[in-house]
Amino acid sequence: MNGYRKYFGKKILWLLITFIFAVLLNFILPRMMPGDPVAVIVAKSAQGISDTSAVKQIYENYAEAFGVDKPMTIQFFTYFKNALTGDFGLSFSQYPRPVADIVSSAVWWTVALQFPAIIVGWLIGNLLGALAAYMRKGFDKVLMPLSLFVSSIPAFGVAVILLVTFAIKLKIAPISGGYGFDMIPNFSWSFIMSVISHYQLPFWSIVLVSIGGQAVGMRSMSIYELNEDYVKYSRFLGIKDRKIVGYVFRNAMLPQITGLALSIGTMIGGALVAEIIFSYPGLGTTMLQAISQSDYPLLSATTLIITLMVLAATFVIDIIYGLIDPRVKAAQFD
Amino acid sequence: MKLKRVLGLVLLLAFTAGFVFAGAAQDASSSAAPDANPNQLPRSETLYYGGQQWGAVNGWNPLSDDMNNALALAQSAGGSRTLMFETLYMYNLLDGSMTPLLADGDYVWNAAQTEMTVKINSAAKWSDGTAVAAEDVAYTFVSNVKYVNGQGVGNSPYIESVTAVNPSTVLIKAKLTAAGIAVNPLMLVSYLGSSYVIQKDWIQTVEARNNNDAAAVKKDPGEDVVFSGPYSKYYADDQKVVFIRNDAYWGQDASMWGKLPAPKYISHTMYADNAATEVAFKAGEIDVDQQFIPNIQDLWLKDNLPISTYINEAPYGICVNMPTAWYNQDIAGLENVAVRKAIAMAVDYDAINANAMTGQSPTFQDVPRSLMNPTPGEQATFDHNAVADLQWAGSDIAGAKKLLDDAGIVDTNGDGIREIDGKNLSYNACAPNGWTDWMAAMEIVADAGKNIGIDITTEFPEWSVYSTVVTAASQTDYDIFMMWTDSATPVQPWGRVRMIMSSEYNGVEGNWSGNWGHYSNARVDELLSMIPIEKDAAKLKSYYTEAVKIYLTDVPSFSLMYRPDKFHAVNESVWTGFPEFQDGNNIPPADLSDGYGIAGLYHITPIQ
Repeated sequence: MNGYRKYFGKKILWLLITFIFAVLLNFILPRMMPGDPVAVIVAKSAQGISDTSAVKQIYENYAEAFGVDKPMTIQFFTYFKNALTGDFGLSFSQYPRPVADIVSSAVWWTVALQFPAIIVGWLIGNLLGALAAYMRKGFDKVLMPLSLFVSSIPAFGVAVILLVTFAIKLKIAPISGGYGFDMIPNFSWSFIMSVISHYQLPFWSIVLVSIGGQAVGMRSMSIYELNEDYVKYSRFLGIKDRKIVGYVFRNAMLPQITGLALSIGTMIGGALVAEIIFSYPGLGTTMLQAISQSDYPLLSATTLIITLMVLAATFVIDIIYGLIDPRVKAAQFD
Repeated sequence: MKLKRVLGLVLLLAFTAGFVFAGAAQDASSSAAPDANPNQLPRSETLYYGGQQWGAVNGWNPLSDDMNNALALAQSAGGSRTLMFETLYMYNLLDGSMTPLLADGDYVWNAAQTEMTVKINSAAKWSDGTAVAAEDVAYTFVSNVKYVNGQGVGNSPYIESVTAVNPSTVLIKAKLTAAGIAVNPLMLVSYLGSSYVIQKDWIQTVEARNNNDAAAVKKDPGEDVVFSGPYSKYYADDQKVVFIRNDAYWGQDASMWGKLPAPKYISHTMYADNAATEVAFKAGEIDVDQQFIPNIQDLWLKDNLPISTYINEAPYGICVNMPTAWYNQDIAGLENVAVRKAIAMAVDYDAINANAMTGQSPTFQDVPRSLMNPTPGEQATFDHNAVADLQWAGSDIAGAKKLLDDAGIVDTNGDGIREIDGKNLSYNACAPNGWTDWMAAMEIVADAGKNIGIDITTEFPEWSVYSTVVTAASQTDYDIFMMWTDSATPVQPWGRVRMIMSSEYNGVEGNWSGNWGHYSNARVDELLSMIPIEKDAAKLKSYYTEAVKIYLTDVPSFSLMYRPDKFHAVNESVWTGFPEFQDGNNIPPADLSDGYGIAGLYHITPIQ
């Protein structure tokens, strides 16, 4: 028990150190980008105003409102203090909208799209990979090249193919948005159906891309495991194939679980391609906009959420590994 | 066993997909039919816009510049958007006229042109039923100045005061020079068509709830705003904004439109980018689209879609803007007129028109270059014969080479690049990343350099970086770079001459106003001060002609194309009767929303 405590204590310590550095970098890195966020906003207000002192006045008003005229250290402590209470300030690019409001309205679309897509892609990919390894012959000969082909198509390629095929040519799927262009959100069957139908293309564009990679990885791991001594020994002992497959699958799964956890940890970054191609709401396009317009508060908030989720995911994995795989814990003690 | 289970799962997934696609098909077809459900906008009563609103609406407060509410709040000298808030007059870019909106009859100048009087239409009402009064106009001006918003800082250098003489009469006094003449009377005319009138009572309500704190007043989302226009908020979220017609709108009075605008709803979906907007436009989910679509004629010629533009042949729109390449005169070599003119002469403008604009611009053979846009009104302001010798149409490689040779700018070391004082002429040509038509134009400028022995390479920084550098008081990062010029407004072409050549912008940090190459010419400054107050048409023409001569001789910058202020394309799947060039209605291509363009909403009808 003492070994576990030491193992967990060490993990938590590293987690805290990583977190502190991550928060620091979250603050500093966006501010190192070239470009002046105030200038971008002034550009919108000042077009058509020909009086230069007037434009300067507008610039100074915004600089003061955003606090970018204050020293970096003061900006950091203000940011840190406010972030602890969930206040990420006002967005520059969507001023005067609070960052928390932007993130909270976008994040559920991202989670609702990404989480099921990652899980479904992972399940189908791993099942197909394991099957290919176990059955070999025809199945493998068809599945392997197919998986390689699909996984090598860029995500935007898959999204565009789906859009053109199902939405534009066949007209059996909507072309864009999170719900019908002619609807107002409400609790009705037609609205729910509209949301479900708008969900399809972005969802499958993510699933299709992830299946290939998962299948290829799982197949390799399974083939490796099938040739292990314990498999041969089990066969000599006369253990049923079904039982052996269970052992093989469990061992081959370990690295795949790491991949799954990291995918879930980073999903908040948004399915950028799906969001852009299908104009689907979510955090991906919000982040892209924050980057292109040097919107530090919005960018810091979204990257902080990603950081926290990745840290949480890796921490949970470390803990689960420590529990389910004694070799990992032993290696840590060494 | 296991295989069966797996195959079962895969089949189940496939079945689910098929089922939901079927649901999608059902959803798409049902949405085409009119529906009494208030949560589903009846297609035949809704006009869909595209290309105007990017990102969620922040609010409805016309005192703020930050509401990101494109359809409700857009105050511009080229014609403000009057769907929800209204101006005194509506500017028409076709003929420069000002049609009364909240005003009654024409504005009247005093003899010295230092004051103007405007009468308020007695029929004009706010959405709460009270009358629009002169005091509202006066208080709006005072508030704009007090809260330092775009309208306040933009107008206060030219307008001394706006006061209510009586409930229906507004007196606008110009700021005067030391000589007692108006600083710029043109700016007062511009104010009439650009500045919204906001209800005094509502402003005072906002001031009270924000304790008169200027920053708080401007951040107030104004959900309870009182308005005078025909539309107001119906629904808004991150994905769309919907306006509903105010059926009690005062404009149905016989003294104004005599009826209500045709669409009951106006909706704008937020698309991710231009490509997504174009797909929706082609699919008939957008009726009025404001975006550049390359080879737009293919949509009706090849795709047989019911799509059209304001003019049914090239350039398809009224081009009033002149995106321009500016020479940074702080860079060695570019202070040399021969270098500047040689590059400008060598550029293949026809290629820019064909590639960057896909033919949606008049050529420089059609409209020879000057400081004026191609509209007949601006073209009439200068003497064409007097400047003909100075104009160039482009692709003149031999002429450009001769010009450089004659100036002694030659290649002495045989590397193919000309030198001045032993230094190679090597420059970058910049445009913001993602502004594809500008980027394509700069590539062609770079090619022109190669043809005449000047090394020009392109660079495309992000807009946030680009705009910071270009607007700096001085910079040495960009040598040749693109920026816009003014479109059609009541102060043109004076405003564009000022934007392109006025030295008042030199040395100004954060200069968004013009002359980004930092050119300086005392005579130009003198002309700029004389033109706004000159009443003699012949003298005015001679001033403008002189300005054009200086521009074509000194080449501080050179325009690369002519562009419309708004790209105005319509899909007639659901609505018809959109404004067209010379259709007898004189409605400008302003997306049925800006300036007198809003008259289009009273002419369209749904296709039954």
